[in-house]
Amino acid sequence: MATAYYEFYRGSSIGMALTDSLDELITSGAITPQLAMKVLQQFDKSLADTMVKQVKAKTTLKGHLKTYRLCDDVWTFIVKQASFKMEQNEVITTPRIKIIACKNGDAIEAGKK
Amino acid sequence: MSFALPARQVTFGRPSAYQQQHGLALPGPSPLGNPYTQLQPQPIAKPPSPPPQQANAIAGPSTPPAPAAVPSTPVPLTLEQQHITAVEGIVPTLQNIVATVNLDCRLDLKTIALHARNAEYNPKRFAAVIMRIRDPKTTALIFASGKMVVTGAKSEDDSRLASRKYARIVQKLGFEAKFSEFKIQNIVGSCDVKFPIRLEGLAYSHGQFSSYEPELFPGLIYRMIKPKVVLLIFVSGKIVLTGAKVREEIYTAFNTIYTVLCEFRKP
Repeated sequence: MATAYYEFYRGSSIGMALTDSLDELITSGAITPQLAMKVLQQFDKSLADTMVKQVKAKTTLKGHLKTYRLCDDVWTFIVKQASFKMEQNEVITTPRIKIIACKNGDAIEAGKK
Repeated sequence: MSFALPARQVTFGRPSAYQQQHGLALPGPSPLGNPYTQLQPQPIAKPPSPPPQQANAIAGPSTPPAPAAVPSTPVPLTLEQQHITAVEGIVPTLQNIVATVNLDCRLDLKTIALHARNAEYNPKRFAAVIMRIRDPKTTALIFASGKMVVTGAKSEDDSRLASRKYARIVQKLGFEAKFSEFKIQNIVGSCDVKFPIRLEGLAYSHGQFSSYEPELFPGLIYRMIKPKVVLLIFVSGKIVLTGAKVREEIYTAFNTIYTVLCEFRKP
C-alpha cells in the first residue's frame, strides 16, 4: 500500500462492526492477525475513496467557532450553537460539536508530489 | 483660501526654498489658527482610552470647532484631545499596531500548535505558528527562535496586553518564555477629511514626496520625511497613515498634511 490513510473511519459503526468480526475470526483461528490488518487498511482506503467519489450528500453548518487548530494537515473546529441544515431542509442543532477535517486520499497523494 | 488653516507646531520636512517657491510654507502660527493649539503645555500624561467618537462628529473640515471641544469643559484636556482640536475636529483613528517581542527561549512549534487553542501551524507554507486571541482581538506569529510578532491591536496598551497574553500561553505550555524586548514596530491610522481632493495637483506640486499612479493604485502615496510616515491619500478624502512608531507621529503627520489637502480641495 503506497499511501497511509487515516484510520478514523474504524471508529464509525461500520468500522467497529468490521473490527469485531475480524477479532472473532482471529480468535476462532480462521484468519491471521496480519490478514486482519490488511483488511482494515483496505477498509481505510476504500472508505476514504468512497467518501470522496460516491457520497454526494451535503449540509450547511452555521454556528459560533469557539476554537480551531491546524496541525499536521488536520483541522479541528469546535463550534458552539451549531445548526446543520440538511438537504431536505431538515435542521439539526447542537450546543457544541467538534469537527475534525483531514485531507482526502487524492489530496494526500497530491501533497506528496 | 477660505479655509481656516490650523496653526501647527510641526515643521514639514521640505526644503525651505521649495516651500517659498510654491507658497506652501506655513511658518509659525497663522492668524487664522484656532486658539486651542495654545493649550499645548499640558502634562503629557498618556490617556488610557482613545478620544471620544463625538470628536469626529462635531465638526466637518470647514466648520468651526464645535463648542463641545471648548476648553471650559470640566474635564482637563488630554494630549489626545488637543490633537482633536488641532485639526478641525478630525483625529486619525488607530487601526492597527504591530509589535515584536522576544520570548528568549527556543520553542517547539508543533507542541504549541497541538496544545494551544486557535493555533495554525503549516510548516510547508509558513515557518511560524499563527495564533489568535479574542481579547484584545489580535493575531500572533510565533517563531521557533522565540521571536513573536503581534498584530491587530488598536492601541499601544492593547498591543502590550495581547503580547503578554501570548507569552503567558506559551509559558503555560511548558516553555521558559520571558517577556522581553517588546517594541512597537508600526502604527497605522486612518481618517476622513470629508472633502474630495485633487490628487493630480497634489502629486504635481509635491512631486518630491508623492507617487500617484492611478493605473496601478487609486490612491496617492505620500512619503513624508518628518515625521517619517507614509500616507495614502484618496480622492474621496479618506486618508491612511502608516509607518509611525509612536502615535504622535500619526497625529503630527495628519496635522501637517491637512493644510496641504485643504489647498488641493476639489472645487
